[in-house]
Amino acid sequence: MSDLIARLRDPEEVRAAFTQVIALYTEPLYWQIRRMVQNHDDANDLLQNVFMKAWASIDNFRGDARLSTWLYKIAINESLTFLEHERKRGGVSLDDETTMLIHSIEADEWVDGDELRLELRKAIVALPEKQRLVFNMKYFDDMKYEQMSEILGTSVGALKASYHHAVKKIEQYFSGRS
Amino acid sequence: MKQDLNPLQQVGRMDGMTVPDGYFRGFAERMASELPDKQPAVVEMPRSLWQKTRPYIYLAAMFAGIWCMLQMFAMMGGTGVSGAITPDNNPVLADAIENDSFMDDYYYMAVDEYDLYDDLYAAGMDWNKFMYEK
Repeated sequence: MSDLIARLRDPEEVRAAFTQVIALYTEPLYWQIRRMVQNHDDANDLLQNVFMKAWASIDNFRGDARLSTWLYKIAINESLTFLEHERKRGGVSLDDETTMLIHSIEADEWVDGDELRLELRKAIVALPEKQRLVFNMKYFDDMKYEQMSEILGTSVGALKASYHHAVKKIEQYFSGRS
Repeated sequence: MKQDLNPLQQVGRMDGMTVPDGYFRGFAERMASELPDKQPAVVEMPRSLWQKTRPYIYLAAMFAGIWCMLQMFAMMGGTGVSGAITPDNNPVLADAIENDSFMDDYYYMAVDEYDLYDDLYAAGMDWNKFMYEK
């Protein structure tokens, strides 16, 4: 990884190195974005924006933060900005964001058809935004709390509490439906 | 039975979302090919004539402002190039003095000593006590 970062700083090598970055991070960043915005087409557009922004500001990447942390930050900012923009466009309040996302889930054609997984997605979008982020990072990506803390700028203790609350809410969501 | 109802244990780490076949490989290749060329970090732009002369113009304007201010102060103090302002050398002032309504409104209407005593009597002041008390 240090070799890759050194190549990103070399003007002769930066393009080839960034192509390697794209290949490495396309999949994890895509899933992070997709789990926030739910829709494949939106996730695809946002992922392109993330890499374009990262490429445009690659000279500002100093290497003192981890490359993955830097990219995750850009991806999360893009996702949250997109959701805010969608809320404003549809005149939807923050409280009604869940309804908006459930519509996205129901309209999503790129699903495996498993009803329980579909319900899990609906339970996750019912979480507050920060808890949703934390849950996705921990549960699906198995990310360490320390890295989550760097990305989200929240203490490890608060992240653990958020994750715990998120799991409880998801369990309550399902127990209320059974 | 409770274990079976726990959705997270049943679903595992899958959330049911899928992508088109070959999406990730295709995306990475497409993205890499669409990256724009890097521009030179700093491009030195040639300076326009306005950019070159702007500090001198600002400096000249500042001095002109100071000169105008000094002229105004000198004129107000009667030491300007035209000397003190009098009705003889200033037609505006001469017209104002000749104008009865101007004099009534701005000169004669000023409060005099009589008006002051009148107001004091009206306010109940014992004038004799005030004058002879030692």
